[in-house]
Amino acid sequence: MEDESKFKLFNICMVSDFFYPNMGGVESHIYQLSSCLVERGHKVIIVTHCYGDRQGVRYLANGLKIYYLPFLPFYNQCVLPTIFPTFPLLRNVFIRENIQIVHGHSAFSTLGHEAMFHARTMGLKTVFTDHSLFGFADASSILTNKVLNFSLVDCTHTICVSHTCRENTVLRSNISPSLVSVIPNAVDSTVFLPDPTQRQPGKITVVVISRLVYRKGIDLLAGIIPTITSKYPQVQFIVGGDGPKRILLEEVREQFQLHDRVKMLGSLQHSMIRDVLVQGDIMLNTSLTEAFCIAIIEAASCGLQVVSTKVGGIPEVLPPELLYLAEPNSQAMTLELEKAIEDRIHNRNMDPFELHQKIKEFYSWRDVAMRTEVVYQIVMEAPVPNAATRLQRFNQCGPVSGKLFMLTAVLNMILLWVLQWIWPDQSIGKAETLKLSQVVKCEQRSDVLMGKKSSSNGTKSLIKLS
Amino acid sequence: MRVKLAQASAWQKVLYKKQKYPDNYVDQSFLDELRKNHGVQTYSYKTLVNASTVITQQLSSVAIFIAMHLYMKDHSVSAQTLWLIMSTLSVIGYIANFILNNSAGQRLSFTLFVKHLKTSLLFQGCSAALSPVLVSLTETISTDTIYTMTTSMLLANLLLFNYDTSHDAVPGAMSFSAAIFSSVCLASRLHTPWHAFTTVTSAFELFALWPSLRKNIKEKYPMIHQCVTVVIVLLCMACLGSKTLVGAVIYCALVLLITFACTALFHFLQSLKNNISGPWDEAVIHSSSVLMAEHSTS
Repeated sequence: MEDESKFKLFNICMVSDFFYPNMGGVESHIYQLSSCLVERGHKVIIVTHCYGDRQGVRYLANGLKIYYLPFLPFYNQCVLPTIFPTFPLLRNVFIRENIQIVHGHSAFSTLGHEAMFHARTMGLKTVFTDHSLFGFADASSILTNKVLNFSLVDCTHTICVSHTCRENTVLRSNISPSLVSVIPNAVDSTVFLPDPTQRQPGKITVVVISRLVYRKGIDLLAGIIPTITSKYPQVQFIVGGDGPKRILLEEVREQFQLHDRVKMLGSLQHSMIRDVLVQGDIMLNTSLTEAFCIAIIEAASCGLQVVSTKVGGIPEVLPPELLYLAEPNSQAMTLELEKAIEDRIHNRNMDPFELHQKIKEFYSWRDVAMRTEVVYQIVMEAPVPNAATRLQRFNQCGPVSGKLFMLTAVLNMILLWVLQWIWPDQSIGKAETLKLSQVVKCEQRSDVLMGKKSSSNGTKSLIKLS
Repeated sequence: MRVKLAQASAWQKVLYKKQKYPDNYVDQSFLDELRKNHGVQTYSYKTLVNASTVITQQLSSVAIFIAMHLYMKDHSVSAQTLWLIMSTLSVIGYIANFILNNSAGQRLSFTLFVKHLKTSLLFQGCSAALSPVLVSLTETISTDTIYTMTTSMLLANLLLFNYDTSHDAVPGAMSFSAAIFSSVCLASRLHTPWHAFTTVTSAFELFALWPSLRKNIKEKYPMIHQCVTVVIVLLCMACLGSKTLVGAVIYCALVLLITFACTALFHFLQSLKNNISGPWDEAVIHSSSVLMAEHSTS
């Protein structure tokens, strides 16, 4: 309560292409963060594009309002980058909801970048959260980095999920590091509870849960499995997830006759992840690049020993005594996994509940929300740059691209002027702000994300309006 | 006060600790792990000039081939004489190759020699037998078309040639085929089977046998390779110069461009290289563990 008195309450709009029913790190981040902000009294709406027949406005149990706007996704759940056509509708939403801060998520999200750009044109404050790491050498990175540069040069503040991610973002978008805050992801410790009774006695189970793609280091995994299974007869693997590299693991399983020891579960619902995790003793993560890696803290929260590659932001996530780190090659990974298995055999591990308790202290979404609130506070105090300053900033982006960016910004300003003429701000009806008679506790909100409630078809029955 | 705070709890690059610093605190260590041009090899100008001789030599092969055609075309040298010269040079080249291999410890056995002799005779026989066909094969095609095709094929030969000496896997089959195609085209412009025979066999000698000998010399005696290059360039200029001054000038300009200008440009551009890497880069799965060890210590 003390904290709340210190902070003003804001009207925040989260924008990203990625949200429920899509599943992933960004999606759960937006959901958890928004829920905790709502809990702290802010008004939060989420804007995303439509998912199939999921269009229009929906409410979640804790009073979160979600706009599924009618923009069609065209590649990897992102909308087509058209810049201007999204302006009228987004402006309408921003005015209708009386938004002060627009918070975009994920560098891949076209809608997020466009919404932030329009918000800046309208003079609103913007915050951007970057969830991913990028290289600098290949053509796609160069293009994406230029887009990010365009988006962030005008953004009031940026949030990164790890220190490595921050260094990467600063380099990619060429912004001052003091305008970038580091706020990690967290884990819902009420869901990811340990349950050692689910473990198979007499066996040591290594769990791998990830999309089976090259970037997740499945090639490394394919090299590790045969060595470990031949050395330790009591070790078995459970692999959750699907993807193009699945065939590689199946080949290994075939070649070394490991059908009874390597269980392939295929793609998993987020709600099932915990149930799979608790069956294991050790969690193995072979990612080749990772900004934060929620998967390892989810596993640690379930009481598993975590063996991971030493890439990206992973060394920052857990203290060395809770994490077996190895260089990303099969030999080093195998050695480290063997260490973990030996520790398990001789019972030198930390007690699962003790581990869970530690993770709970390290990471909580409430803490993330409080730290994000500080960012909002900074953003609200920052002065609004005038058009000339904005254009100058764009111009500094590059000799050719700078001019292009300026042109885009000017066009957007003209578009805003036209829109204000056709649909004046006063003509847009203000939305009623919902007041929850009963604050839904953080402990309960996780159920919705887990999909346990029938939230797909109208959650109005779950909300008690005052 | 600030010093005291720093001593009490220095900032750490970790996420699991609650630190007494704001979230947008920029530490001294920011971007410490950034590596610029890590693992990038820079070449000295001398190395580059030396390396460029491979291109010059292939260009010379093309120049000699064209010069031979010009000599035969205006009948200043007969096809028989040229064939004799090329065959003698090939025999000398074969002996040189034999000596090179011998000094490297590879013994040339009698059976291998017989095998080579058989191949060579078989090939010469086939070419001789086919030359009446070759001479009339493209005779009906207009001379302009033939010259355009020859030019483009010789350019293709230069572009597709396998200049890399370290990899034996790709022998530049495309490049070689292009050269033979151009020789077949040119063969029809000289009207007698002897001319066609000489053109095709010398194309084989210039574009198949000579490059492999060059490669051998470059690997074992780089110094001799440089000398051979100078000799070849002078020879080419003399041959071309006596027939076409424009050709000789173009050849000379190209050699200078490749050897000095292009290498200088490459050398200059190296200093502009700005390749950044850091912990955010996607790890690369190496097959050899040695490379990984290097990677981890970096």
